[in-house]
Amino acid sequence: MTYGAWICLVSPLVATIVILLGGTTLTRRAAAWIATSSVFVSFGGAVTAFLGVHGAHVAQSPSCLSFGLHCNAQGELTTAWTWLASGHFKFGLELLVDPLSTVMMLIVSGVGGLIVLYSVGYMDGDNEERRYFAYIALFVFSMLMLVEGGNLLLLLVGWGLVGLSSYLLIGFWHERPSAVQAAKKAFVMNAFGDATMALGLFVLIAHTQSLSFGALGGVSGSTANWVALGLLGGAAAKSAQIPLQTWLPDAMEGPTPVSALIHAATMVTAGVYLIARTHVVFEQARTIELIAAGTGALTLLVAGLIALVQTDIKRVIAYSTMSQIGYMFLGAGVGAYANGMFHLMTHAFFKALLFMTAGLAIHALAGEQDIRKMRGLGRVMPITKWCFLAGALALVGIPPFSGFFSKDSIVAATGALGTWYGWVFWLCGIVGALLTGLYTFRLWFLVFPGEPSAFVREHHHRHGRWGEGPWTMLLPVAVLAVLATVGGWLQWAPLWHPFTDWLHYAAATAEGAEPSSTLEYATSAATVIAGLAGIAIAWAIYSERSVAIPKLPALQRVLENKFYFDAVYDRLFYAPAVAIAALLRTEVEEPVILQGGTDLGQTALDAGGIARRIQTGILRTYVFFIAAGAAALVLAFLIAK
Amino acid sequence: MPVLEREMSGPGTTWYVALAAFLFGIGALGVLIRRNPLIVLLSLELMLNGGNLALIAFSRHFANGAGQIFGLAVMAVAASEVCVGLGLVVAINRRKLALDVDRLSELRG
Repeated sequence: MTYGAWICLVSPLVATIVILLGGTTLTRRAAAWIATSSVFVSFGGAVTAFLGVHGAHVAQSPSCLSFGLHCNAQGELTTAWTWLASGHFKFGLELLVDPLSTVMMLIVSGVGGLIVLYSVGYMDGDNEERRYFAYIALFVFSMLMLVEGGNLLLLLVGWGLVGLSSYLLIGFWHERPSAVQAAKKAFVMNAFGDATMALGLFVLIAHTQSLSFGALGGVSGSTANWVALGLLGGAAAKSAQIPLQTWLPDAMEGPTPVSALIHAATMVTAGVYLIARTHVVFEQARTIELIAAGTGALTLLVAGLIALVQTDIKRVIAYSTMSQIGYMFLGAGVGAYANGMFHLMTHAFFKALLFMTAGLAIHALAGEQDIRKMRGLGRVMPITKWCFLAGALALVGIPPFSGFFSKDSIVAATGALGTWYGWVFWLCGIVGALLTGLYTFRLWFLVFPGEPSAFVREHHHRHGRWGEGPWTMLLPVAVLAVLATVGGWLQWAPLWHPFTDWLHYAAATAEGAEPSSTLEYATSAATVIAGLAGIAIAWAIYSERSVAIPKLPALQRVLENKFYFDAVYDRLFYAPAVAIAALLRTEVEEPVILQGGTDLGQTALDAGGIARRIQTGILRTYVFFIAAGAAALVLAFLIAK
Repeated sequence: MPVLEREMSGPGTTWYVALAAFLFGIGALGVLIRRNPLIVLLSLELMLNGGNLALIAFSRHFANGAGQIFGLAVMAVAASEVCVGLGLVVAINRRKLALDVDRLSELRG
C-alpha cells in the first residue's frame, strides 16, 4: 500500500524535472501531456494507496466489508531514508499513508488531474506553456508532499512549496504588473502564516524534542495553546481566513485553471487538512479551536457579503471560496473534522467546476471577466450553462447536489455544541447559506439567462468541435459536473456516514459535535430554506423582472471597499514599512554604505599611487636594492653577534 | 660541526674565501654598473662562480662533500640561467631594440 503513495508523490516531480530540463527540445504539446499524464499516474498511485489502506483493515477485521463502514482503518508510516539528523533530532523522509492522507491524495491528484487536463486546452497557444506546465506539476507535487508528509517538518516543507508554486503561478503572466503585485501579496501573507507555524513547531520541539504527529499528543496547557495558535496562524494564512484573507481575491490574476486548482480545490483548503491532522493539539487547546471556528464563521459572513458587490466573475467565485472555507473552519473548529473534510471534498468538486465553467466563458469572450457585460451567455453556450448550474446548486446546497450533504452536517455540528456560541455559529451558518444563494444566483442571473447582450453577440466566438471549447476543456468540466451532483451521496450524516467512519482513526469527531438526527433534519431544512430564499431574492432582483436593489449607499461603499481590510493594512503595515525604508535610504544607504564604498576605493587608489613609484622598471635599481638589502642583513648579523 | 684539521697542500682556506669574495664583488659591481645585458650576464656568472668557490673551499675546510655537490647544483642553475639570458639577448637583438638594460623599462609602475 505504500509504494502507491510514493508513485503518487514522485510522478509530478519527475514531470517538472523533465519539462524543465527538456526546455525547447520538447514541443509545447508534449510538455502539456507530460504534466497531465504524470498527474493521472499520481491518481493511480493514490487509488493504490487507498485500496491498500482499505484492504489492510479489512484484513484486520473481516466483518468490515463496505468502504470504511464501522471500520477502524489504521495508518502506516513509510520511511525512505533519514533526511536530517542533528543530535537526538532525527527526521526521516517519511510518508504517512492513513485514511486522512489517502482521501487528500485522491482529491488532490484526481481533481488536479482533471484541471491540468483542462489547462491543456485553456493554455493552448500561450507564450510560455512549458513553464506553466512545469509549475503546475511542481504544485501538485508540493501539495502531495503536504498531505502525505509523515511528520510536521515534511508537512511544513510541502506548506512552503505550495506557497512558492502558488506565487509562481499567480505571477505567471509576468508582463502584467497587477499579476506581479498579486503574486507578491500572496507570498508575503503566506510567509506570515509560515512564520507563525514555524514558531508553533519550535515550541513543540522545545517541549517534546520531536516533530512527529505523535508528539502532538504530548503537550497540554499553555504549550498546547501556543502550538495550536501557531498552527492556526499558518492555516488561516493559507486558507485566506480573516485577518489574512486579502491575498486570495487578488490571486485571481493567475490563469483560470490555477484559480480552480490552487485557489479553490486544493491549496487553500490545506488549512482545514492541517487542523484535522493536528486535531489532537487543538483538542488540548479548546480556546484556540473555538477561535478557529469563530474565524471561520466571521469569514463566511464577510466573504459572502463582499461577494454580493463584485463584478469580476472570478472574484465572485473567489469570495465564495473564502466563504466556503469559512464553513470548513467552522466544522473543524467545533470538532467535526470529518464533516469539514467532507465539505473540503465536495467543495473541491463544485468550486473547481465553477471556476472551469467561468474559464470557458472567459475563453469564449476573449478574456472578458466583467459579469455586467455577459448577460445571455447561456443562449450561445448551453453546456457551460448547465454545468455551471449544477455547480451553483451544489454550492448553495440544494438537494440532491453535493453541497447539501456536506454543508448541512457542518452547521448541524455547531448546533450540537449546545452552548450560546454554538448557536451563534449555527445562525452564522444559516445566514451564510442565504448569502451563498444570493451571490451565486446573482452571478447566474447576470451571466446566463435571457437574450445575449450586445457585448456577447459581438465578442463571442465559437471554438472546438462543440463550439464551447476543445474536448480537453469540456471533458473535465463534464466529469466534475457529475461529481458535483453525486459526490455528496457518499454520506448523509443522519442515515449513512461511511466518510466519517473512514476518517475515524485519523480524525475522530470530538465529543459534543455529534448532532442528534432531529437537529440534522431541522438544520437541513433551515439551510435549504435559507438557500432557496437567497435564490429567490437573486431572482427577484437580477432576473428580467428586476425589482430595484435596495439603496444602501453606505453599506454598498463598505462592501465595495471589501470592509477596508486592504486600506487598513496599507496604513498599518505598508505605509510605515515604506517610510522606514525611505528613511534608511536617505540616512544610511546613501551617506554610509554608498559613500563608504567610494571612500574605500579612493583610499586604495591613493595608496597605490605612492607604492607604484618604487616600481621604476630599471633593472639596475632593483639589483641595487637587493644588494643593499643583503649588505644590510650581513651588517645586522655582524653587529648582533 | 667540528673543524677537522687535515693535511692540505696549497694555500689556506682564508685565501680561497678572500678570492671568492673578490670575484663576487667584481660580479656584483658589474651587474650594478654595466648597461649591456651581455656583460650583465657575464658579471652574474662571476658572482655565481665566486659563490661556488666559497662553497668548495668550505667543503674542503670541513671535509664534507655536501658543499661540492651543492657547487654542481649551482653550476646547473648557472647553465640554465645563461640559456634563458642569452635567448633573451638574441630576442632583443632580433627586434632591433637597444641592448641597454636601462632602456628596457616597460615594467615601470
